[in-house]
Amino acid sequence: MTRRMVVAMLALAGIFVATYLLLYKLGMIGHLSCSIGSCETVNTSKWATFLGMPVAAWGVAFYVVLFVLALVSTGERYAESKGMAQILVVLAATGVLFSGWLTYLELFRIHAICQWCVTSAVLIAIIFVISLLEMRETPAVV
Amino acid sequence: MAVKKNNNKRTTVRPASNRPTNFYYILGAIALVGASILGYAMTRKPNAAVGTEAIANAGPIGKAEGYLIGKPDAPVKIVEFADFECPGCSQFATVTEPDVRKRLIDPGLANLTYYDFPLPQHKNSQAASNAAACAADQGKFWEMHDAIFGSQDQWNTEATDNPKPFFQRYAERLGINVQTWETCFDARKHQGRIMANAAEGERRKVNSTPTIFIGDKKYEGALPYDALKAIVDSATKK
Repeated sequence: MTRRMVVAMLALAGIFVATYLLLYKLGMIGHLSCSIGSCETVNTSKWATFLGMPVAAWGVAFYVVLFVLALVSTGERYAESKGMAQILVVLAATGVLFSGWLTYLELFRIHAICQWCVTSAVLIAIIFVISLLEMRETPAVV
Repeated sequence: MAVKKNNNKRTTVRPASNRPTNFYYILGAIALVGASILGYAMTRKPNAAVGTEAIANAGPIGKAEGYLIGKPDAPVKIVEFADFECPGCSQFATVTEPDVRKRLIDPGLANLTYYDFPLPQHKNSQAASNAAACAADQGKFWEMHDAIFGSQDQWNTEATDNPKPFFQRYAERLGINVQTWETCFDARKHQGRIMANAAEGERRKVNSTPTIFIGDKKYEGALPYDALKAIVDSATKK
């Protein structure tokens, strides 16, 4: 099992976490509940939309791209590609920065923590660390 | 020598050994678990606030009728669907609403109508709705509303199986004729209205409390005052 495979697995899990949040946002999932300090508050706040799309939709798109790239990168053709390793790191770093911003908003602006958003933030942080280790070990010369 | 080395390398990057079958099994397992959880969550969505059985047992369903505070002809109408036992609603009622009343409702900028939306997991919520409806008979709905929300932790499902003595105490304190109130409460006189209010919420696709409507827009969750004020301001401009 290579590190890129682990990245692919985590990204696949991320797709489902983000899809869950997106379906929630679209009103297709959700239970009769009272909203306090949870995903309802976060997912209905004004920060739950970014550039005209729900943040969760960006999350789904992001994880799909990451998953496809990680999957492709495990193939024979790119197995030793330093460039591919770098792309994964840059992508994961973008995800970490965005998640960091969202977590900041949850803690200091919305004052509510959504467990699924935190799950996503943890996933992308792990993906970032693994891709970074992976990149450092991939030889520069193909 | 060099040629031989290349050959060796070639044999070590066989596609089969590069992506072990285990990898696909694990991906498949993640996909299966993820899809199952999503599927389960989508089918599980309950749509009824109080359950059809409860409505059937309650006799004829009344006419949906909320409780109004403020001028009936105020330019912006805020409609709230809430559950007396929901902590989010209590937060809205005790933290946000005093500001809403003082700064939006009292100056005539908006009015607010409260509709019951008792959730099935809150066993004392319907009793609370009845207690408030019976107080409304004596013109004290909002006083009772505030008392019920203000002491939610004393009479909620976790605290007691019998919330009536609590509501009765609030009624006494608010100067309500307790005998009349008790007759009304024991007879569940306004149960039909409460069910109708919940049904109205279902019709409007309310699925969590509090849910607030301003104009034709729906807002879920306990909106903080600033957010609510901004919405009222923009609705006023229209």
